[in-house]
Amino acid sequence: MQVKDARFIDEEGKVLMLGNEAIVRGCLEAGVSFAAQYPGTPTSDIGETFQRLLREQPELNDFFVHHWAINEAVAASECAGAAWTGCKVLNPMKHVGLNVASDALSVIALNGPNPGAMVILIGSDPGSLGSHQEQNERFYTWMFHLPCFEPHTPQECKEWVKLAFELSEKYDTIFEIRTSTRSAHSRGYVELGKLVKGKAKGKFIRNIPKYNSLPPHAINNHIRLYERIEKIREIIPQLKINVIFPGGNKIGVITSGMPFGYTMEALNQLGLNDVPILKLGLIYPLNYKEITDFLQKLEKVVIIEELEPFLEVKIAEIAHNHKLDVEIIGEKYFPKYNEYSTGLVATCLAKIFNKKPKEQMSKAIDYFNSYKEIIPSRFPTFCAGCPERATLYSILKATNQLENTVICGDIGCYVMSFFPPQECSDLIICMSGGISAAIGMSTKTDQKVVALIGDSTFFHTGMPPLAEAVGYNSNVLLIIFENSWTAMTGHQNDVLRYLINQGFSIEKICKAIGVPWLKVEDSYNPKKLTRTIEQALETYGLKVIIIKRECALQAHRWRMNQIRALKEQDKKIQEVEYFIHGCQMCYDCARVLSCPAIRRTEIDGFESMQIDQDRCIKCGVCYEICPNGAIHKTIFNALDTEVGWREI
Amino acid sequence: MSFKETDVINIVIAGTAGQGVITLKRLIEFAAQKAGIKRAFGSEMHGLAQREGAITSHTRYQKEIFEEERKNLHSPLICYGDADLYICFEPVEALRRGIFASNKTTFVLNSWTIPGVMITANLEEYPSLDKIMETLNGYSDEVYFINATEISIERFGQSQQVNLIMLGFAVATRKLPFIELGHYEEVIKERLRDPDLNIEALHLGIKEGSKILKNSLKSKV
Repeated sequence: MQVKDARFIDEEGKVLMLGNEAIVRGCLEAGVSFAAQYPGTPTSDIGETFQRLLREQPELNDFFVHHWAINEAVAASECAGAAWTGCKVLNPMKHVGLNVASDALSVIALNGPNPGAMVILIGSDPGSLGSHQEQNERFYTWMFHLPCFEPHTPQECKEWVKLAFELSEKYDTIFEIRTSTRSAHSRGYVELGKLVKGKAKGKFIRNIPKYNSLPPHAINNHIRLYERIEKIREIIPQLKINVIFPGGNKIGVITSGMPFGYTMEALNQLGLNDVPILKLGLIYPLNYKEITDFLQKLEKVVIIEELEPFLEVKIAEIAHNHKLDVEIIGEKYFPKYNEYSTGLVATCLAKIFNKKPKEQMSKAIDYFNSYKEIIPSRFPTFCAGCPERATLYSILKATNQLENTVICGDIGCYVMSFFPPQECSDLIICMSGGISAAIGMSTKTDQKVVALIGDSTFFHTGMPPLAEAVGYNSNVLLIIFENSWTAMTGHQNDVLRYLINQGFSIEKICKAIGVPWLKVEDSYNPKKLTRTIEQALETYGLKVIIIKRECALQAHRWRMNQIRALKEQDKKIQEVEYFIHGCQMCYDCARVLSCPAIRRTEIDGFESMQIDQDRCIKCGVCYEICPNGAIHKTIFNALDTEVGWREI
Repeated sequence: MSFKETDVINIVIAGTAGQGVITLKRLIEFAAQKAGIKRAFGSEMHGLAQREGAITSHTRYQKEIFEEERKNLHSPLICYGDADLYICFEPVEALRRGIFASNKTTFVLNSWTIPGVMITANLEEYPSLDKIMETLNGYSDEVYFINATEISIERFGQSQQVNLIMLGFAVATRKLPFIELGHYEEVIKERLRDPDLNIEALHLGIKEGSKILKNSLKSKV
């Protein structure tokens, strides 16, 4: 008995939801009719949840559209377009996505989303838990005047999304909901409300001054934006989302979002339950009276926020402008990097309040530090059978372990190439930063310059630098992984899939743009690929090698489903198994290919590599590369098979 | 040890990607809801951790809440040293996430190892199970191993039931208070494929786990 998906039912009740699921629920209760995003942790599952809803309730397609956009800037402008027909739109993106979307958002913010409403959902990532950098993107809220909510629980996620849409519509202003990897992926209770259907159709009404932020309208819209923000600042106390936990202590705390939870538990642990706390729901703008009322009774106030001081700067400014004699502390005691935790907040607060942290906690920290050297590393790596891993093997072989070679990495699964033992990426910048860096580098060095890019990144922003590389005939080898999926973020059914179904190929694009040296290879044929890379590196100018091989994770899933179905029909299937016999322990498969389906073991007292049949997906690359011929292949039902291996 | 209804229960679940850490976390949380738990707040990891990486989740719940909000559960992360129970699908992952443990913690560990690529490449060393046991004993005396992977393969012909066997062992330690066996069974029926198989695995875990706990009690006496 499978239950109905509680996230989508139009009933009241209490349901356990992740922060991201609660955001989706909030949108459904607010009557959202359009959402567009490029996938990125921690916001990818928002789109997946929307897509799931549309699969389960296809009749909603008339009222709600979700797009997996080609990049974040495109998504932001798409959302603005839909909002300007009078619809409510959601635009989720990760913190670095905001850098990409910022060009578009700077203008949309000036114009305002009316007659519709627009909420951007930013998934920040203190601690870089699923990202290639750490930044405090909260400063965009000052720059573009984006009023910003910072929810702490899934319940707040849901309620504040609804509130943000209401205010966005009322004040013609883009509102931001800022989650973090932690709040997006924490589960708690959510009280459900009634669902509201989105608009099926809207209409754009001409208004040249509003939608053309060029002189003189640019200045007028900027003035209008200040007016809108000041109106919002005034009504903040009525929203009742900034909450005070009163107390008699002369030192108080101001905090918001996830750090609020750590603060509450840390204060309780330290026996400091008389410390007054101001929990901000809206971190920009701040209502001056609300802040000064709280500060007035205090000698000191501790600002607890992750990353660079943001609230601290604004609160110090308010205290200074209102001539309040209160010391404002935060960054002096708290780190300006990495994610916080209850333990960290308790340690910092203990210093400020001159208390001793709980013994149980300090003992755990000390003991952990005493043995942590013996913990072997386990970093993320390519899946067994990954065509990208096999490509790295060929790169390492063709360049004699990267001798006189620079590898410009990029964002995608191949971001993991820098991890040992392959260590096959020298630098990472941002989406398509690798090929661009390679173009510049190749003008100033005689080293061999190789750039990597995947197909989704290629569409995101990779085509412009490719055009430039063609234009200057840069001495770069570009390797494009055409694995047919946006794999790293979880194989979203995005626009890339649509293009593939239409018969597109990167090869055609490269030909059309005029790439002078182009080869299409399969990394499951590693010896041939190695020779092609060698050849390319001996040639001057721009070379492109397209690795055409589907993401192994998806290909394997599909194949397993096929096998299951065929077995149910009692069909005799050809099956392949690889095994190791006579291993010479040369470590080629373990250190250069480093497939996780191979493990080191002892057989009859002799050390040997062994294939973990549970994890092997039969890609056959190790069989192709073993220099000693110690990896063997067995075919079951070779002669009397009904369905051949290649046909599955 | 017995729990008060207002206590916050803290559970760390650790393993490697694909072992069912998140599935188990959700099972416990949804069972907690069936048991009428007033507050639950826990964190799970998505994203990068799915590529063969180490994966941890924190499950926290409170049966009844205090009127004074400051004493209640507010963070989805457990504080250092505050875990009541560790459920580890891979032995070395217990060491990696050990910082949340203390002398009140019970560890249940699957003894099946999954060496990472650096171990296979012979560039790092995997500590022996004895060494892992000895190190975890520095936190707590309550450290128990079960070969859940072997048991799963032996009984079900596949390793997929490891998480339910581990849940069974965890239930046997009585460190998941206020949730009844029936609540887990209900959630399994509603949410998992092959519910009968998974319920059987849960019971098998309880049976095998209880044996291990009983034997260890004897050896301590």
